[in-house]
Amino acid sequence: MEAIYQYAWLFHVLPLLGAMLVGLGLISLSQLTNRLRQNHAGGCVSRLGAAMFLSCALLWSQIQGHAPYTHTLEWAAAGSFHLNMGYTIDHLTALMLVIVTTVAFLVMVYTDGYMAHDSGYVRFYAYLSLFSSSMLGLVVSPNLVQVYIFWELVGMCSYLLVGFWYDRKAAADACQKAFVVNRVGDFGLLLGILGLYWATGSFEFDIMGLRLQELVQSGSLSNFFAVVLAILVFLGPVAKSAQFPLHVWLPDAMEGPTPISALIHAATMVAAGVFLIARMYPVFEGVPSAMNVIAFTGAFTAFLGATIAITQNDIKKGLAYSTISQLGYMVMAMGVGAYSAGLFHLMTHAYFKAMLFLGSGSVIHGMESVVGHDPSLAQDMRMMGGLRKYMPITAITFLIGCLAISGIPPFAGFWSKDEILANAFAANPVFWAVGYLTAGITAFYMFRMYFSTFEGNFRGNETEIRHKLKSEVEAVAAGYATPAFGPGAMDTRELAATGHGHDAYGHSKYPHESAWTMVLPLVALAVPSVLIGLVGTPYANYFEEFIHPPSETLTEVVEKIAEFNQTEFLIMAGSSVGISLIGITLAALMYLQGKINPAAIAAKINPLYELSLNKWYFDDIYDAVFVKGLRRLARQVMEVDFRVVDGAVNLTGFFTLVSGEGLKYLENGRAQFYALIVFGAVLCLVIVFGVT
Amino acid sequence: MADFPWLTTIILFPIAASLLIPVLPDKDGKTVRWYSLIVGLIDFALIVYVFSSRYDFDNPELQLVESYSWIPQLDLNWSVGVDGISMPLVILTGFITTLAILAAWPVTLKPRLFYFLILAMYGGQIAVFAVQDMLLFFLVWELELVPVYFLLSIWGGKKRQYAATKFILYTAGGSLFILIAALMMGFYGDTVTFDMRSLAVKDYALNFQLWVYAGFLIAYAVKLPIFPLHTWLPDAHGEATAPVHMLLAGILLKMGGYALIRMNAQMLPDAHAYFAPALVILGVVNIIYAALTSFAQRNLKRKIAYSSISHMGFVLIGIASFTDLGLSGAVLQMVSHGLIGASLFFLVGATYDRTHTLMLDEMGGVGQKMQKIFAMFTTCSMASLALPGMSGFVAELMVFVGFSNSDAYNPTFKLIVVFLMAVGVILTPIYLLSMLREIFYGAENKELTSHEVLADAEPREVFIIACLLVPIIGIGLYPKMLTQVYDATTLQLTERLRDSVPTLVQREVPTVSFRAPEIGVR
Repeated sequence: MEAIYQYAWLFHVLPLLGAMLVGLGLISLSQLTNRLRQNHAGGCVSRLGAAMFLSCALLWSQIQGHAPYTHTLEWAAAGSFHLNMGYTIDHLTALMLVIVTTVAFLVMVYTDGYMAHDSGYVRFYAYLSLFSSSMLGLVVSPNLVQVYIFWELVGMCSYLLVGFWYDRKAAADACQKAFVVNRVGDFGLLLGILGLYWATGSFEFDIMGLRLQELVQSGSLSNFFAVVLAILVFLGPVAKSAQFPLHVWLPDAMEGPTPISALIHAATMVAAGVFLIARMYPVFEGVPSAMNVIAFTGAFTAFLGATIAITQNDIKKGLAYSTISQLGYMVMAMGVGAYSAGLFHLMTHAYFKAMLFLGSGSVIHGMESVVGHDPSLAQDMRMMGGLRKYMPITAITFLIGCLAISGIPPFAGFWSKDEILANAFAANPVFWAVGYLTAGITAFYMFRMYFSTFEGNFRGNETEIRHKLKSEVEAVAAGYATPAFGPGAMDTRELAATGHGHDAYGHSKYPHESAWTMVLPLVALAVPSVLIGLVGTPYANYFEEFIHPPSETLTEVVEKIAEFNQTEFLIMAGSSVGISLIGITLAALMYLQGKINPAAIAAKINPLYELSLNKWYFDDIYDAVFVKGLRRLARQVMEVDFRVVDGAVNLTGFFTLVSGEGLKYLENGRAQFYALIVFGAVLCLVIVFGVT
Repeated sequence: MADFPWLTTIILFPIAASLLIPVLPDKDGKTVRWYSLIVGLIDFALIVYVFSSRYDFDNPELQLVESYSWIPQLDLNWSVGVDGISMPLVILTGFITTLAILAAWPVTLKPRLFYFLILAMYGGQIAVFAVQDMLLFFLVWELELVPVYFLLSIWGGKKRQYAATKFILYTAGGSLFILIAALMMGFYGDTVTFDMRSLAVKDYALNFQLWVYAGFLIAYAVKLPIFPLHTWLPDAHGEATAPVHMLLAGILLKMGGYALIRMNAQMLPDAHAYFAPALVILGVVNIIYAALTSFAQRNLKRKIAYSSISHMGFVLIGIASFTDLGLSGAVLQMVSHGLIGASLFFLVGATYDRTHTLMLDEMGGVGQKMQKIFAMFTTCSMASLALPGMSGFVAELMVFVGFSNSDAYNPTFKLIVVFLMAVGVILTPIYLLSMLREIFYGAENKELTSHEVLADAEPREVFIIACLLVPIIGIGLYPKMLTQVYDATTLQLTERLRDSVPTLVQREVPTVSFRAPEIGVR
């Protein structure tokens, strides 16, 4: 068993090796590399597969009770400062490793089908491998600096992948936005790391937490400062896990190809924020005010995401806001102290949300054969409908995902969401109320999505809707009301010129089920989406026995689980299932049977509808305040630089040249005289100072 | 062989070789460039050989010292030597200059003169880092300006005369202060000497130190550059061709940082204790001011030029941090920026060769035809915005941690400075990524493609960038590789610097010690 720990660095290096191999191939022998498409893909997939098996072995060994394993090596040193890097494997790491590698593996398989006709097929695999490697490096980090390093690296991979179709303006804007917004979070994280190191002299999670508590208790560090430090660190997860107020990048990041939306922007990278909170638990636990901030942020984000998701017409954007909302649940759980519930939801969410995204990718793929490679048409749910007839497997898996996220037992999401709600109720009923309400909204918008996509009649060939959508797009593009964020704002003329949309209209009348490489991962992900929740049922919570806060011991956890109260559970679970069913029923009435007209309701509460449709105007506010403000400031600074700083210099130079005095001495051969003056002056100064 | 004058050979070999260029048989300009490249490679190999076999990394003192009396009447000695601070920079010089010769492959205008100047500069630059005599330092500092002036004024862009004149006036004006300060130091006290080591142990009055320090600071502030003496740089960089550009950004800026450590910090430690907060503030101003200006620039070369200024701010803060880590980070940042700056400027040149415009508004969607350049540009920009895994990140992190743990400043001052530095960390990706977006992303600019052929990178260009990326990523993955090479020297220097901070020595009040200037506290 020891051997797999010694060679555990392999799973990190294996995908990296693949990425480098392909990357170098693309630079030096691009034609050959591009011709060997599937060979490279096969290589990447098998390397990741190996990493997946290794991770599973590690998880198994950890479940068997193997002690945590850490291996480090000195990375940087200066004087008395030493910084180690390496890997540590404990329960949390092992769990994350398995989640990341399984989802990444399935996404890689899926990619083969989804990107089959893309000219960047090989490049995409290189990026995917690079991302997997960075993400694995992140979860095994033994200290905060290494977390920061890989934190940034996954951010870069996200940048590269969101901007994968770099000829699209929207993608170009979105990838920059994603990186910069994440840098704002990293700014806080960096300051937090520096502050914690300054206060505690360590980058290790446990030692930091311990010393910080000692310092606060002994009074040598004010409680306020500790709270500030904890919140600064929390800014990192706020950006990465798309929490309010830095959530704005995630919906735009949907410009990237769908497989990465599933992998990075739903299952793994965005969950890294929750993972970091879990890792930093020793620090956060000792600072109750910071925990409150975390809980409130999470609760508000959960509600915010859900309210926006109701009105989205783009299938991927709807899912993106749903991800924001679900991440809010996890963060809220962390904040109220429900450590294992938050991570449990992270796991279940990773599987069912990855499946939902891959399902939406399958839908888009199918739609593209009808409406052409135009995201504003292929991703819009108003063009879909009745797809269950044409793509039955996608429809069934998508339905499973919807049931899971809505919290219908026995699907995975029910158990994790219920555990969070129960914990939230115990902590503060306000959090429970928000979570409860959000659960209802979630069920509503997910089934709105399901019904309008898969049920009813197929609307893809109705030219009227098509023209309506087109004109919406053009109105936005012409008016530049919002600078082309999202696929709804694509300039289609650009697209036609660049080859992605070689045919404005598709080649078939109806969509078709996707290739087996795409369907297989969907089916594979459906299994954990249904069953994985059973490891964390409240009456036999194996999950919590395995994953519990570092401050709790196993016996405490077991005792807590033994206190399980049947009636209480039934009331809580019953009520949350109830509200989900209400949501589903409402959705069915509106979008399946058409008994209620959603447009009429929207007209009745127009301000609220507009608020939701425009994403609470966050993009507009940020654009006006930060983007435009910074541009203006930068321009002013440049003007100052040009006119004042440089102007003063040029003015001096001008006068010297005009009078010609400056150069005369040199020209007249009086340089010696000039030098003499300098020399004399120096001597005088020296004498003056020497005397005094 | 122990007494063989290795450093002198390294300095004089390219200069001597350059003298042969006028008489070389050369019909179509090809012999000269091969000749220069081989000379450059030999010299670089020599540097690597000498340092790897004859330099002791654990010894903080000057090594490979040679001293010959040159003009005894003037007490002018040819004395050279290297320690941990100059040694990495000498290697960097050899590396970047050799690559610059390779980057200059397409130069067809007056190739003999061009390569003559480059080789002369090769020796001159190494001399600046190696000489140990103040007067000699002043001489080589001035001498190395001459080739740059010609390289700018003959091969530059449209406003080259203006840029070259501005450059020479600025730097020559600045170096006047070096001369004055050097003379003052030399004549101070009972003995007249210009040897740097002797100067460093002289016991100067504090008042005197402050004046001399200010003089040096002005000279090196021009070179580094430090706000507000930076305006020559965007003009010079905006007009220079790619190889000259690589030298300017890769090596010449480092001379300022090197001299600041060598003279201001090492020789005048008491004054350094007084000036350090000012250096920190100037460093912060550099970081933020230049980043904002860079964001507003529409000219690609000027944009990158301002990004250089911004990155140099970290060097200043590192020098003024009074910690091993900070100083070590400052040295690392110089080496790292030398590599990254050179690679970015080379890529800007390569892009210009294809688009024939530097204005961002006239580009757009270039990435579709120039995928390799796109990939390399992205990688180098990532390095520049301090992405982990690359050298810039390690250097900036070291300065960050070093400064924030410095006990020479009071917590409020540190808090504000670290906060503002971190704001710079947000600004850097904003201007670099929006630059990438405007050049490469989006739909192809029809107007541009109608009259320019956008060919992808040729193997020579890929090779140059690969050469630069290997150390960038190498240092990023395992920084100890480089830091342990010079650690002994920075450690010793920090000890000396800390001795001169009165509050640190007495340790009276551990919490609030150094009075920061009011501007920082407000």
